[in-house]
Amino acid sequence: MTQELQQKSQSIAFTKQPYIEDVGPRKIESIQFSMMSDSEIMKAAEVQVYKGQYYSSNRVPIEGGLLDPRMGPANKSCTCATCHGGFSNCPGHYGYLTLALPVYNVGYLSTILDILKCICKYCSRLLLEEKLCKDYLKKMRNPKMEALRKTDLMKSIVKKCSTMASKAVKCPRCGYINGMVKKAVAVLGIIHDRSKVTESLQEFASAITHTKESKAAVNVATYILNPVNVLFLFKRMTDTDCEVLYLSERPEKLIITNIAVPPIAIRPSVIMDGSQSNENDITERLKRIIQTNASLQQELVEANSAFKSLAGWETLQVEVAQYINSDVRGVPFSMQVARPLSGFVQRLKGKQGRFRGNLSGKRVEYTGRTVISPDPNLKITEVAIPIRMARILTYPERVSDHNIEKVLYGKFRNQLAVELKSGCIVDRHLEDGDVVLFNRQPSLHRMSIMCHRARIMPWRTLRFNESVCNPYNADFDGDEMNMHVPQTEEARTEALLLMGVQNNLCTPKNGEILVASTQDFLTSSFLITRKDTFYDRAAFSLMCCYMGDGMDRVDLPTPAILKPVELWTGKQLFSVLIRPHANMRVYVNLTVKEKTYSNKLIRTEGDEEIRIETMCPNDGFVYFRNSELISGQLGKATLGNGNKDGLYSVLLRDYGAHATSGCMNRLAKLSARWIGNHGFSIGIDDVQPKKELSDKKGKLISENYEVCNVKIKEYNEGKLHLKPGCDAAQTLEAVITDILNRIREDAGKACMGSLPWRNSPLIMSQCGSKGSPINISQMVACVGQQSVGGRRAPNGFIDRSLPHFPRKAKEPAAKGFVANSFYSGLSATEFFFHTMGGREGLVDTAVKTADTGYMSRRLIKALEDLSIQYDNSVRNAGGCIVQFLYGDDGMDPANMEGKSGEPLNFDRLLMKVKATCPPAGQRYLSPQQVSEIVEKQLAAYGKESCSEAFLNSLRKFFEVQQDKLDKKIKFVEDIGWDDKSQILEEVTHKTSGITEKQLEVFIQTCFSRYRVKRVEAGTAIGAIGAQSIGEPGTQMTLKTFHFAGVASMNITQGVPRIKEIINGAKRISTPIITAELECNDNENAARVVKGRIEKTLLGQVAKSIKIVMTSRLASIVIALDMETIQDAHLCINADIVKESIVQTPKIKLKQQHIKVLDFRKLEIFPPVDKSKIHFELYSLKNVLPMVIVKGIKTVERVVIAEKEKEKKKVKENGEKKKYRLLVEGTGLQAVMGAEGIDGCKTKSNHIFEVQQTLGIEAARICIIDEINETMKAHGMSIDKRHMMLLADLMTFRGEVLGITRFGIQKMDKSVLMLASFEKTADHLFNASVNGRDDRIEGVSECIIMGIPMPLGTGILKIRQRDAVPPMLKYGAPDPIMS
Amino acid sequence: MSNIVLFEDIFVVEKIDPDGKKFDKVSRIEAHSQNCDMYMLLDVNSELYPMRVGDKFTMALAHTLNLDGTPDTGYYTPGARKTLADKYEYIMHGKLFKIGDEGSGKSLKAEIYVSYGGLLMMLKGDPSYVSHFELDQRLFLLMRKL
Repeated sequence: MTQELQQKSQSIAFTKQPYIEDVGPRKIESIQFSMMSDSEIMKAAEVQVYKGQYYSSNRVPIEGGLLDPRMGPANKSCTCATCHGGFSNCPGHYGYLTLALPVYNVGYLSTILDILKCICKYCSRLLLEEKLCKDYLKKMRNPKMEALRKTDLMKSIVKKCSTMASKAVKCPRCGYINGMVKKAVAVLGIIHDRSKVTESLQEFASAITHTKESKAAVNVATYILNPVNVLFLFKRMTDTDCEVLYLSERPEKLIITNIAVPPIAIRPSVIMDGSQSNENDITERLKRIIQTNASLQQELVEANSAFKSLAGWETLQVEVAQYINSDVRGVPFSMQVARPLSGFVQRLKGKQGRFRGNLSGKRVEYTGRTVISPDPNLKITEVAIPIRMARILTYPERVSDHNIEKVLYGKFRNQLAVELKSGCIVDRHLEDGDVVLFNRQPSLHRMSIMCHRARIMPWRTLRFNESVCNPYNADFDGDEMNMHVPQTEEARTEALLLMGVQNNLCTPKNGEILVASTQDFLTSSFLITRKDTFYDRAAFSLMCCYMGDGMDRVDLPTPAILKPVELWTGKQLFSVLIRPHANMRVYVNLTVKEKTYSNKLIRTEGDEEIRIETMCPNDGFVYFRNSELISGQLGKATLGNGNKDGLYSVLLRDYGAHATSGCMNRLAKLSARWIGNHGFSIGIDDVQPKKELSDKKGKLISENYEVCNVKIKEYNEGKLHLKPGCDAAQTLEAVITDILNRIREDAGKACMGSLPWRNSPLIMSQCGSKGSPINISQMVACVGQQSVGGRRAPNGFIDRSLPHFPRKAKEPAAKGFVANSFYSGLSATEFFFHTMGGREGLVDTAVKTADTGYMSRRLIKALEDLSIQYDNSVRNAGGCIVQFLYGDDGMDPANMEGKSGEPLNFDRLLMKVKATCPPAGQRYLSPQQVSEIVEKQLAAYGKESCSEAFLNSLRKFFEVQQDKLDKKIKFVEDIGWDDKSQILEEVTHKTSGITEKQLEVFIQTCFSRYRVKRVEAGTAIGAIGAQSIGEPGTQMTLKTFHFAGVASMNITQGVPRIKEIINGAKRISTPIITAELECNDNENAARVVKGRIEKTLLGQVAKSIKIVMTSRLASIVIALDMETIQDAHLCINADIVKESIVQTPKIKLKQQHIKVLDFRKLEIFPPVDKSKIHFELYSLKNVLPMVIVKGIKTVERVVIAEKEKEKKKVKENGEKKKYRLLVEGTGLQAVMGAEGIDGCKTKSNHIFEVQQTLGIEAARICIIDEINETMKAHGMSIDKRHMMLLADLMTFRGEVLGITRFGIQKMDKSVLMLASFEKTADHLFNASVNGRDDRIEGVSECIIMGIPMPLGTGILKIRQRDAVPPMLKYGAPDPIMS
Repeated sequence: MSNIVLFEDIFVVEKIDPDGKKFDKVSRIEAHSQNCDMYMLLDVNSELYPMRVGDKFTMALAHTLNLDGTPDTGYYTPGARKTLADKYEYIMHGKLFKIGDEGSGKSLKAEIYVSYGGLLMMLKGDPSYVSHFELDQRLFLLMRKL
């Protein structure tokens, strides 16, 4: 590899100092891969190595041996004989080693083979016509051609030559007849097979008969092409021929004649105590090569016959091959060892290899790792560092007048302390406020490593606020975390601004808040804000002090109850928490529906439904108005993570990160202290069911068991009503599973209803801090159905799950239903079933982590270099455009406020504006005025600043608002003009009017916020997208099936499905086409269409297929069963059957062999002679029932499904049921074309097929939809922009590229990146054969080279004008024209 | 006096906890007024001020407790001054957070919602009694059993 270096000349100064040319700062611009010839190796080397020894008896490295001092010092006691450097500063020098006979380089063996396939084995010219050669050369020399295309072209040339050569090809130039070239089996070599070359063969055969020795069948025509022959052929190749074969250099370099012996520095020799030394694997390999080489040399000298040396030569070949790649195939059995010494390829490849282990990821200093523990008294941005750790880690601080006193603390190293002055650098210990990076593995998204401020604390653990557990996914059951200390001011600043906790409260996955209150904080908030918590002056003041350590200013609100005693409520405490004093300008406005919200309907006005909202009897409707908690008991929906309308989200969007983190800090302190005093614990009495509850549960279970038994009875009698697309057993399973799952749910409901409100598990489940109703139900009432693989417990014994049950038992208890609770205890069989379910869970998690990890890695590798440019386009490192505008609107997903990724939540914003901007006597606007102002304002803000979609959404929002107001005003106007109407109008305005000021403020806020939400140029949006898709994968359960409308039709879901989509798989496990019907409200019509699509075999519609033999004729007569055909609404008659038989490829019958007797009968006369006719007839009779007479071959089956979405509507409006077809199998084109199908609305989940039939844009949409569907099925929301980017990357080349090693290769990536991904050695060898030139521009390459990458803050380049600015002339100006 | 008190009437308790008892110390009462035909839902601290069905009480809403009509400062200043509070047994302080309406045309009824630190009140009736209330107004609720 040569490094192109910038060189600058400089004037030479004459001094006594040795001359060192100053070439200015050097930068690696590109890497060129090439091969070294034998002479180049000799030139580069300092010494010839010929002795296979290391040290002499007195431990001095032997000259000419493998540790020759000219290649660098072997240990600390020696010096280098070339550069006289010591062990630590000699870079090392090469040696060389001459082989007695040339051998193949295994890395290039496939290339050598390809070349040999293409050249004449006599004259070394290409086996192509001159004209064809020129054509190929022209294509190869096209400068616009990418490396990948060139490789493809080369492959096609090889294919062309080898298909010709499969017979025997005559060289167009010399006329020599070439045979087939192939790799030798079991040995490292290449065979030239000329056995098909007929003419010469006879000559050989006759020659063989004359020889005495070879009685055995020696195949003379096939001979091994030995490296000497090949080298000879290669040397004679012309340069243009090499170019056609995409060889950048002479092909003889592919064959080894001299081996470069690497410097000792890369194969260190460790001296053990005693006289033993421990040598590196490479050194030992070289030793063996030298030994083999020496014996081969000996053989060559001794024996005159050339072929005697063959054995030694082969061994040498194997040794050299293993030196390069110890896993090479074709090593003779005698030389195979259990653990081979590793070769060079082994050093590079794999997770621990040079590329992934040392170049892409490096070990670092200034780090710490220990166990973590919680500390609610810390701020969310802080991390407590143990004193001991802080005394080891340092930060180099430059001394100035301002910090010299701080730096000079302590009484140690007085001498140094006296000399210390401004400008010195002191490596001081960590102190409070230092910037540290904090990380927990697995680092699945960027929030897994964040920047905190240090707090030096006693004891031995790293501590942080529990609110920050979520992004790290940490708990305190023994987790350890890592800490890094940035060492420069630049690094600190960048870390603080980009990675600071306060700047990463939101996840870019979907814009939801991630750092939020958890567990105890939620529980105590829930209890504090209960409607019946009242505090007197002392208690309330104390709690106000809790949240700020008594150091903050607090304005005490007026008590809610003034008389008979002053009492404050818990809700008032929260008002204080959010806005402690009047000078704090935080006005939060939000509404959240908590879990406990009853959502009771009070009345309907028109089509608008008025819900109970704040007056909810359970107090589940949270309403903050101007930072006052009006109503609602706070729980996870308000304070927790994963919500976009929660308190913290609103605070963050409206008042910034500082206000949010302050609020979280106060809540953490308050909660921790409050709950410490209040006490919160769980005991056995919490899970003891009351009498009525256990009665209720017993009744519930026995009732449902009864229903199950009835169903089982029906099934046994064959009376069960079948579900669509299911057989009886499947229907029974579906029905019973449904009933049993309902038992657990009902039991859960019963628990939640009957437990007293003070019950700890109930409180935790209600506020969302831990546990679900199902968990409570399992402890208190009933554990429920155990499932293995999505089914009830399978039969481990003959026809039964366990020998405790009768054979073929289908009862709930026999198939894994656990009726007991954890409190009451499980019976033996129940316990066994429970462990079955438990094991599946364990296996699942173990498999899942590996699977998703690999998926994430592939995603990252494919997307790592995508970034936003200053023109808002998304490009890869090479500048190739992937998207013209990121996500079609250029918005940052992390800042999206709307539920499904819209930039703003207008409803909430309007509420906020109305509340914070009081009407204060201003006039309310009429609907017409509103629309006028809106239009004016929108025009003023214009299009240049925002997308059309945003403007439209704003317009639409106002239309809805206006409609509402319009209606209200109308009612008032209808009444007429009197005193009362005036009052009514006033009231109406107050309820739903808007003033001009409010409207103005609203629109202005919309636009100003929209502008801030733009994604910044330089954002590594690819990596963010990859993490956003990869991270949720870890949370998905592996094997889940989801029923597509029909019970029996399941679609692969979860990780396997995501994997399929991302891989761009050509065959997917459950392809389903969702076909819309042209006439979708008629079930019969749907049946007809179903009949057309589903394949019908002749056997299904034939009444009989008989062999008829008369004295003159023998034939087969087929009679069709017209009744069945009519029942199934098929239109099949004898003619159609005839056509389909003729078209069936395996049955070789022609039109004239089949005779249609009438519309239901046909006769077949097979065209064979009479002797064989009997057999023919019988074989035909066996094949005929399998002939497809109607339908699409590739379709497995078709199910008619009711439309899910419209089911609700159907119920309400009494409309007809709507149907569609679900087609299992492939064949999208055929299904779309089927009569009665609306092809425009038909969809498939098979991406590859969609691309084939509908094109690349359809495939892109399909990818987006499918990922979205899969994620949604697991209750995960991912911003659409990430999926768009992934889909665009997969399709931007015009074909669907999977995120696999094959797809990524085609994505215009550099050699180093591909080498650091997979197949390291292959990519490197190919790159050097093709002479690839790698510009260092991608992320992987920059990391490997240690260069800042052109991404994020690195996107900026400073350019300085080099030329001296022109002298300015004053006085008379230059004439414009002279 | 009348400019201090924004609304006053005599109510009769009709129901207590219409949706079942949810909280230990707070009950929701449903009451109807005698003069203005107002309907009221109110959360009352039942520990301090127990109420039973059929109880008759007078309820007033005032924007200040100062008898001279000086507006409330928003800061709580207890003292031994003479105030409106002296005449009542149970006083709460809160904020009007919503004005709503029900029905349409002549039968339109207005409703105001007040939150006394989480204890909610809903007062529904003829718009004329409601129209002079403003959003975000601080209100004192004064109650005395008759």
